[in-house]
Amino acid sequence: MNNHLSEDQITEWLLGTRDDFVSRHLETCRACSVEAEELRSTISCFRDSIHAAAERDDSYWRKQQHAITEHASARDWYPLHWAWVAAMAMVLIAAIFLTRTPNPLQNTTTEDTDKVLLQEVQGDLAREVPEALAPAVLIAQERNEILTSQSARPSRTLPKKAR
Amino acid sequence: MAQNEQAAVLIPVQQKAGLGMTALDDFTPLVQSHQRRIYRVLLGMVRDPDAAQNLTQECFLKAYQRRASFRGEANVGVWLLKIAVNLARDHRRSRLREFWHRLSSSSEEVTDLGQWLPDPHASQERVLLGREEVASVWSVVEKLSPQQREVFVLRFVEEMSLEEIAAATSLKVGTVKTHLFRAVRAIRQRLKGGRTSE
Repeated sequence: MNNHLSEDQITEWLLGTRDDFVSRHLETCRACSVEAEELRSTISCFRDSIHAAAERDDSYWRKQQHAITEHASARDWYPLHWAWVAAMAMVLIAAIFLTRTPNPLQNTTTEDTDKVLLQEVQGDLAREVPEALAPAVLIAQERNEILTSQSARPSRTLPKKAR
Repeated sequence: MAQNEQAAVLIPVQQKAGLGMTALDDFTPLVQSHQRRIYRVLLGMVRDPDAAQNLTQECFLKAYQRRASFRGEANVGVWLLKIAVNLARDHRRSRLREFWHRLSSSSEEVTDLGQWLPDPHASQERVLLGREEVASVWSVVEKLSPQQREVFVLRFVEEMSLEEIAAATSLKVGTVKTHLFRAVRAIRQRLKGGRTSE
């Protein structure tokens, strides 16, 4: 039968759990005390090596503090930055929306102008004479009036010539 | 790190907040008092000084962003370590980083860190043995599972209690203990193996 401490007992001792039986055994058993002490010393060396490896000059830590605070203050502006971006996006969307909404109005005005045009065309078609020939019609009417008035007068003028 | 140090930092922070100082002013002393510890823990977990430096900065930036969620119920140091542990996990999960990490051979970093001398005034033989021991433990820690390594570093490097480790790693105390037992067993077996091979 093995009278030495088990792995778990030694680990418990390393973790700081104090057990009277383990403590007494370590005092009397050289093999176990050497093994436990070696393990403790190795882990202690490991701890010291990390502490030593993590040692840096004060300037290193100051630089790191500066970098952290600088980035932190920059991140403070992140929500504002995003709010600004969101506001700009809203403005842009609104602008696009507003520039597109007049289209129905434009349609109605074109509809109106179309109606006017159709009316004009209909008016033109309803005329007996095209608009461009209207002055010629006026001239013709005047000529006809002159001719009719002349045809009504010849009996008075001819006798004078006979004399 | 002592609880007193953390408490000493927290009280002025709360007083300053009460005086209407900006959040950044309150935050700077917190960085000053915890940055060394966070860097050390991250270095022990990721074993890469550059990554540990970047993750330390990221840890404080995350803490700053989430400062409103810290209600002061937990220890601020443990709260920061919890953020650091999660960042180390994310870092590990990044396959790309893992790839580059392997490519650049992490063993070099481990041996660099393992070159630390336990006692510069010790005899040549003792120095060599000490170096071997530390390098050996570093290589064993390297092979531990991520969670075992986390709890091992927090317990034996930072000397945190099991309850604090459980809070920082979001694990149960029993699970923390199990991981610690396995980690210590692995180191013990490695030491035994080294002795028998001699």
